[in-house]
Amino acid sequence: MTELKKVTRELASHKIELHQTRGYLQCILQNSSDLIFATDTEGLLVSFSKGGEKVLGYSWEELAGKPIKDLAQDPISFEPVIATCREEGSALALDVPFQHKQGKKVYCNASLMNLTNRQGKTVGMVGICQDITKWKRLQEDLIQVDRLAEVGRIAAGVAHEINNPLAVIGEASGWAGEVLRGAKGLSADDRQELENAINDIADQTRRGRSITHKLLDFARDSAPSKSDFDVHELLEQTIGFLKPDVKHTAIEIHLAFAEGPLQVNSDPRLLEQVFVNFLSNAIYALLEKGGADGRIEIRTVKAESHIEISFTDNGPGIPEKEQAKIFELFYTTKPPGKGTGLGLPICQNIVRNLGGEITFESAVGVGTTFTVRIPVS
Amino acid sequence: MSDQESIRVLLVDDEETLIEYLSKRLLKQGFTVKATFSGEEAVDAAEKEHYDVAVVDLKMPEMDGVETQKRLKKIQPFLQCIVLTGHGSIESALESGQQEAFQYLLKPVDYDALVATIREAHKKKIEVQDAKFREQVGEIQRSGLGAHGIRKALKDLRKIYGVE
Repeated sequence: MTELKKVTRELASHKIELHQTRGYLQCILQNSSDLIFATDTEGLLVSFSKGGEKVLGYSWEELAGKPIKDLAQDPISFEPVIATCREEGSALALDVPFQHKQGKKVYCNASLMNLTNRQGKTVGMVGICQDITKWKRLQEDLIQVDRLAEVGRIAAGVAHEINNPLAVIGEASGWAGEVLRGAKGLSADDRQELENAINDIADQTRRGRSITHKLLDFARDSAPSKSDFDVHELLEQTIGFLKPDVKHTAIEIHLAFAEGPLQVNSDPRLLEQVFVNFLSNAIYALLEKGGADGRIEIRTVKAESHIEISFTDNGPGIPEKEQAKIFELFYTTKPPGKGTGLGLPICQNIVRNLGGEITFESAVGVGTTFTVRIPVS
Repeated sequence: MSDQESIRVLLVDDEETLIEYLSKRLLKQGFTVKATFSGEEAVDAAEKEHYDVAVVDLKMPEMDGVETQKRLKKIQPFLQCIVLTGHGSIESALESGQQEAFQYLLKPVDYDALVATIREAHKKKIEVQDAKFREQVGEIQRSGLGAHGIRKALKDLRKIYGVE
């Protein structure tokens, strides 16, 4: 009798323990951000974690009873992984592309294990898949940035080397011009021809120089060189640069500047690059829309420790689903040859280097505002 | 300025063809030009003769532009140096603390800009030199030397400054 009581008590305590363990496992299953699933021996899904629903966008109801391999982007290449697991008891597959409900690829590291019962008989399979898409994208971005920096370095080196022969050509043509002026016995026609040719050489040398300087401007990655200057003045200069672009269009540029000069201690050349970018983006957006009634407003705000410069256009606006991508390297909506997808990422880099930030607001059909915020010093 | 065209220019660049054409043009325009193809050569030239303005390439094998400039200024303190630099190296030149140059010009330099800069540099050289010269002459006169002593001291000064 006492024996029976003892067993009953033990049983009850085991039951509680079991219950707790089950709760614990359930908790892990429900809260893990990994995709955790179980299948029967046929590879049909019998359980799918909440994390998995998030990773792939499907609800459990949509997946119940479906073959696990169909979740992979390429089911046929996923079959060998399942086969390995069946034969050897477990399998590991890295970088497996799964298919999100909305069609995009989700990369996972997948680890599969056989599920056995007490008799050691296989009753199914469990798998844990970790979403590494973000990590992978970051890695790709880093590689691209690295490659870009390398291309920049090579371009800078080449530009540097070309500068020397360019200088010689420039001086040689200058000297030829001097000699020609003092030369005797030339017919007026010949003199004119030679003069034209020499002027052409000089002009083209200048053109070459301006290209190499621009290239070096772009490629240089030196730290900002800061000085004191008036942002309003810089903005007006920048607008002056872009005047030819808006000259024959219906685009109007309005200035809503804070009162007085806007003094900061920052890098004027880098900021100018940022301003040119936002302005030419705004002009492009307005022209794309047809240019009629195009309006760009440049507003400045002076605060105690920082200043704000915002560029507002009434262009087509950026669709919500594209807004997250605009600072991505090489992302562009412009046709080939028109955009590199470098402008905004470079701007963001510059502004961050200057201790500031870029924010934007956009609505389709209303327009876009980009705001640059930088510290006064 | 009456002596504008007799400005003595010392050119220093390892790019010989460039220096050849540049010196021809400057000579034709009335400048007195000495062409050298390395820092060492320039320093030798400065030890023998006085110059008003040196045009120095920043990037040269052996002795670079910064070092050349430093050595030249040691020999002739009033000599003004125009440093020619490739793009992006202005910062590195400034960072190394060598802000002695009268001006940095980007290569390939525009000829007219170079001539204008040489003239400005010469003007500054004369100003700085005259001020210092007057100061020292004043000192000699206040020192109470006899006429003979003063004449000798002035002669020494003229030699140092290279002015007549």
